[in-house]
Amino acid sequence: MALKPVKVSQLNSYIKRILQTDPILGNVSVIGEISNLKFHSSGHVYFSLKDETSKVSCFLPASNVGRIGFQLKEGIEVTAHGYIYLYERGGSYSINIRDMESAGQGDLAAAFEKLKAKLMNEGLFDQAHKKPIPTFPYKVAVVTSSTGAAVRDILKIIKQKNDIVDVLVYPVLVQGPDAAGEIAAAIDDINRSYDDVDVIITGRGGGSTEELWAFNEEIVARSIFASEIPVISAVGHETDFTIADFVADMRAETPTAAAEKAVPDTEMLREYVRTIHSEMKRDLRMLVEVRRKHLEALDPSAFGRDIRSRIAMEHLRADNMMDDMTVTIKALLNEKHHKLSVLKETLDGADPKAILKRGYSVVTDEDGVIIKDASRLTEDQLINVESAVGQAKARVVSSGKE
Amino acid sequence: MSVKKNFEEVLKNLEEASAKLKSENIPLEDAIKSYEEGIKLYNECSEILKNADQKIETLTK
Repeated sequence: MALKPVKVSQLNSYIKRILQTDPILGNVSVIGEISNLKFHSSGHVYFSLKDETSKVSCFLPASNVGRIGFQLKEGIEVTAHGYIYLYERGGSYSINIRDMESAGQGDLAAAFEKLKAKLMNEGLFDQAHKKPIPTFPYKVAVVTSSTGAAVRDILKIIKQKNDIVDVLVYPVLVQGPDAAGEIAAAIDDINRSYDDVDVIITGRGGGSTEELWAFNEEIVARSIFASEIPVISAVGHETDFTIADFVADMRAETPTAAAEKAVPDTEMLREYVRTIHSEMKRDLRMLVEVRRKHLEALDPSAFGRDIRSRIAMEHLRADNMMDDMTVTIKALLNEKHHKLSVLKETLDGADPKAILKRGYSVVTDEDGVIIKDASRLTEDQLINVESAVGQAKARVVSSGKE
Repeated sequence: MSVKKNFEEVLKNLEEASAKLKSENIPLEDAIKSYEEGIKLYNECSEILKNADQKIETLTK
């Protein structure tokens, strides 16, 4: 079944193709102990993974180093994830590593609890040490990765809410063995060199426990505690709690929440200040108005004005009464006049002279008594006849009834 | 910068002046004094809030 001889390079090329198309070898996770650890100046890391009987070469490219959440050390047990790669020229294969975990997961949890207890006993988490977060900062420093989601979220919220506050982004690694040192140094440096910073936000977006680990390191906790400038921690998601959260002056659930807490809404503040301003104007105007009214009531000239108008009113009332009385009197007089003239007419009608004028005469006896019954006159009796004009004496010739 | 740093305090004083103006039976002289004080503080607040020249700076190492 032997084929004809092939060249070495042909063999290696063939093996490479077999290895690198194999679905299992394309994605392996291998447990082993680190040995022959070499950090190349290019940033790549070379080492071997070994167990009791075997070893395999490993290559950790510089681009993936930042992802490793723990310190690589000779002799520690790790789980390496990656794929099998064949180095054609040497005919050797290695694991090309994408990611790694320290095998001692339990170790991390234990380290966390141990540090937490230690710092708590030292009083680093005490409420008494918490500095108030200024409500109106002029400059916020953000200590995080310059390429992560955290800085993007924080800047987005700050720019939305506030157009006054300045932001200083202080880029640091937020995972990998150097992260904790960089974060701590950044906080120290801001305290030393940027005295115009009012509040520091430090944190990163969500990730695995290993990826967030820098924020569980003592050096970071110490720097946060020592910071004269208030620090808001903003690590991962709501459910992630780190040592940094306990020691910070304020814990934000996420980087977005940290930005929300760090800066006030300047538009709302403007509106608020405008409202106070117009309220004050209104209040003072009202206050003066009340007093003006009060004063007006006490003003002697207003008093005089009142009296005068009162007098005028009384005048008017008297005039009206007078008018009423005149009308009444006139009506009364008219009525009396009328009555009088009616009486006069009646009187006129009854005047004997008026009868005389119509041609009648009055006969009286010598005593002037009016003769109402002519039959009672005697012969030769002297009588007086009085007519409308003139009078006469006469002698009765005869008398009798009819 | 030291003047700028006072925003919180200036705002607090402004709120106090406003509250004083609202208090009952405040003498007119005090009211006018509070008002003038308030206007001064309002102008300070406005001046600070007007200054919308935000700078976003990223340190390079």
